[in-house]
Amino acid sequence: MEMFANLSLGLATAATMTNLTYCFVGVFLGTFIGVLPGVGPLAAVAMLLPISFYLEPSTALVMLAGVYYGAEYGGSIASILLNIPGTPSSSVTCIDGYPMAQQGRAGVALFATSVASFFGAIFGVIVMVLLSPRLAEFALLFQPAEYFSVMVLGLIAASIVSSSGVLRGLMMVCLGILLGTIGVDVNSGDTRFTGGIAELRDGVSLVVVAMGLFGISEVMISLRGATQSYAGQTLRGRDIYPSWGEWRRSFLPALRGSTIGAFFGTLPGTGQTVASFVGYALEKRVSRNKDNFGKGAIEGVVVPEAANNAAAQTAFIPTLTLGIPGSTTMALMLGALMIHGITPGPRLISDHPDLFWGLVVSFLFGNLFLLVLNIPLIGLWVRLLRVPHYYLYPTVIMMICVGVYGISNSLTDVWATLAFGVIGYVLRLFRFEPAPMLIGFVLGPMMEEYFRRAMLLSRGDPLVFLERPGSAALLGIGVLVLCATAFPVKKILTNLIARKGTA
Amino acid sequence: MHNGKLITHLGPLIMLVAGLTFAFGAVASLDLGSFRRMGPGAFPLLVGALLAVLAAIGLVQNLRAPMATEKADPIAVLGVVAGVSAFAFLTPLLGVLPATAVAVFATGSAIPGFRWPLRAALAVGVAIGVWLIFVRGLGMPFVAIRGI
Repeated sequence: MEMFANLSLGLATAATMTNLTYCFVGVFLGTFIGVLPGVGPLAAVAMLLPISFYLEPSTALVMLAGVYYGAEYGGSIASILLNIPGTPSSSVTCIDGYPMAQQGRAGVALFATSVASFFGAIFGVIVMVLLSPRLAEFALLFQPAEYFSVMVLGLIAASIVSSSGVLRGLMMVCLGILLGTIGVDVNSGDTRFTGGIAELRDGVSLVVVAMGLFGISEVMISLRGATQSYAGQTLRGRDIYPSWGEWRRSFLPALRGSTIGAFFGTLPGTGQTVASFVGYALEKRVSRNKDNFGKGAIEGVVVPEAANNAAAQTAFIPTLTLGIPGSTTMALMLGALMIHGITPGPRLISDHPDLFWGLVVSFLFGNLFLLVLNIPLIGLWVRLLRVPHYYLYPTVIMMICVGVYGISNSLTDVWATLAFGVIGYVLRLFRFEPAPMLIGFVLGPMMEEYFRRAMLLSRGDPLVFLERPGSAALLGIGVLVLCATAFPVKKILTNLIARKGTA
Repeated sequence: MHNGKLITHLGPLIMLVAGLTFAFGAVASLDLGSFRRMGPGAFPLLVGALLAVLAAIGLVQNLRAPMATEKADPIAVLGVVAGVSAFAFLTPLLGVLPATAVAVFATGSAIPGFRWPLRAALAVGVAIGVWLIFVRGLGMPFVAIRGI
C-alpha cells in the first residue's frame, strides 16, 4: 500500500509539464549525443550539467537521468549500423547487430534494440522500486566506520574497471581524492593547498573538473579525425518489424538479460559493460540458437541491450540510497545533487520522497519516450551519422565554454576547465584514465569526513574499521575484489565469446 | 636507454611527484592533529603517501614492462586551446556571441579539410544557437554583444 502512495507521489512530481518536457529533452539530447561515436553518456551528462543548475533539483535530475539512459540507448545505434560502439557497454551489441545490418536487417536489429532496452529498463525500475527503500533502511544502521569502508569499496570498484590496470586506476583515485582536499577544511577552517589563490578557497568546481577531463580532452583526442562521416543504410518503415518467430525467441533472452543487468547494475563499479558481456556470454551457453551467435542472431542484440539498460537503471540504487556512485556518470549525478544542496544517502528517500519517487516515475516516462521516439526516428539517427563530424567538435567546445561561464560568470573557471582538459589529455597519453579520478574527487571529501568522525568516535583507534563487523565485511569484500582482478574477468569473457564465435 | 622508453616512465613519475607534493605540503604547512582529533593535514598526508607508494610500485612495474604511451597530436591540442582562449579573451571585450563565433572558427581551423566558408557558417550558426539556448531560453545573465 505504502508503495502505491509513494508511486503516486512520484507520479505527481514527474507528470508536471515542466518535468515531462525536460525528461523528453533529456532523452532526445541523450540519444542524439549517444548516436555519435566516441561521445558517450559521460560526456553527454558533463556537457549538460551547467544547464541543470538553472532548474529545480528534481527537474535537473530527471533531465540528466534522461540524458544518461538516452545516450546508453543511442550508443547501440552506431554499434549496429557501423560496428562502432557509441558507448563501451554497447560494444557487445556489435557482435550480432552489425552482421544483421550487413544482411540488410538493420531495421529489425534497431527495432529489437528499442524494445529490449525498454523491457530491460522497466525491469530495472521495478527492481529499484522494490529494493531501494529496503537498502536505505538497512543503511541507516551504518556508522561513520561503515560509511568510510563502503566508500573504500566503491573506490576500489571504480579503479578495477580502468582498462590500463588496477594500479593506475588506484593512482587516479588517490589523485582525485587529493584534488578534493583543495580549499577550506570544513572542520578547522584552515585553507589547504590553495597556493594563495583566492578562487581556490571554495575548492575546485566539479563542473570544471568534469568538463575539462571528459569534454575538452575528449575533443582534443577526436578533433583531427573529424573529417569522416559514416555512410548508413536507408531504412524503410515496413522493414523494421521482427517476425513473429523472432518475437517469441526474444522474450526469454530479454528476461535473462534484464535479470543479469539488474544484478550487475547494483554492484558499484561493474556497471553496464560487464552486465552486457556476462549476459551475452551466458545466453550463448543456454540458447537453442547458439550456432547463429556472432552471425546476426536477434538474441545476440536483445540480451546485451536488455542487460545494459536494466543495469543503467539499477545503478541508481547505490547512488541514491548509499551515496556511493556505481560509475563515473553516477558520480556526476551525485555531484549535481550536492550542488543543489541535497546529500544523497539513506535519508534521501525519507527526506526528499518527491525527488526520489519522482525520479523513479520519470524513468518510466523517459523509457516510454525513448520507445515512442525511436521507432519513428530510426531514419533520422541513420541520417545523423552521415553528417560530417567537423561540425560537431567546435560546437561541443563552445557548449562547454558557455556552460562553464554561465554557472559562475567567471572566466577564471573557463581557464581552469582548459587546464583540466590539458591535464586529462596528458594523463590519457600516459595511459591514465580520468574516470576513477572523478569518482575519487566526488567521494574524497565525504570519505575524509567519515574517516575523521570514525577516528574521533573510536578515541583514535584505527582498528575500529576492522572491529565493527559491517565495516570489516565491506573492507574484506574490497580486498577480495582487488585479488579477483588477478583474474581479469572482462578479458576472460571476451576470449570466451571470441573462441565460441570461431568454433 | 631509448628515449621513447624514458617517456613511458613519465606517467608514474608525475604521480610520484604529485603524491609527494601533497604529503610534504601537508606536513609542512598544515596541522596533523592527533589520532583522535585529526587535523586538516592528516588525511592528505595519508592519501598523498599512498599515492607515492602506488606510483613507486607502478614505476618499478614499468621499468620491467614499459606500458606504451599514446601519440600526441599537438595541432588538435592547439586548436582546442586557441578556441577556448579566444572565448576567454574576447568575452569581456566583445561579448559572448562574437567570442563564440571566433572561438568556433579557431577550433575548426585545426580540422583538416574543413573549408573556411563552412567554418564561417558554423561559427555564425553556433553563435545563434548560444543566443537561443542560453540567452533567450535559459535567461543566463550574459552580455551578448558589448555595446548593444
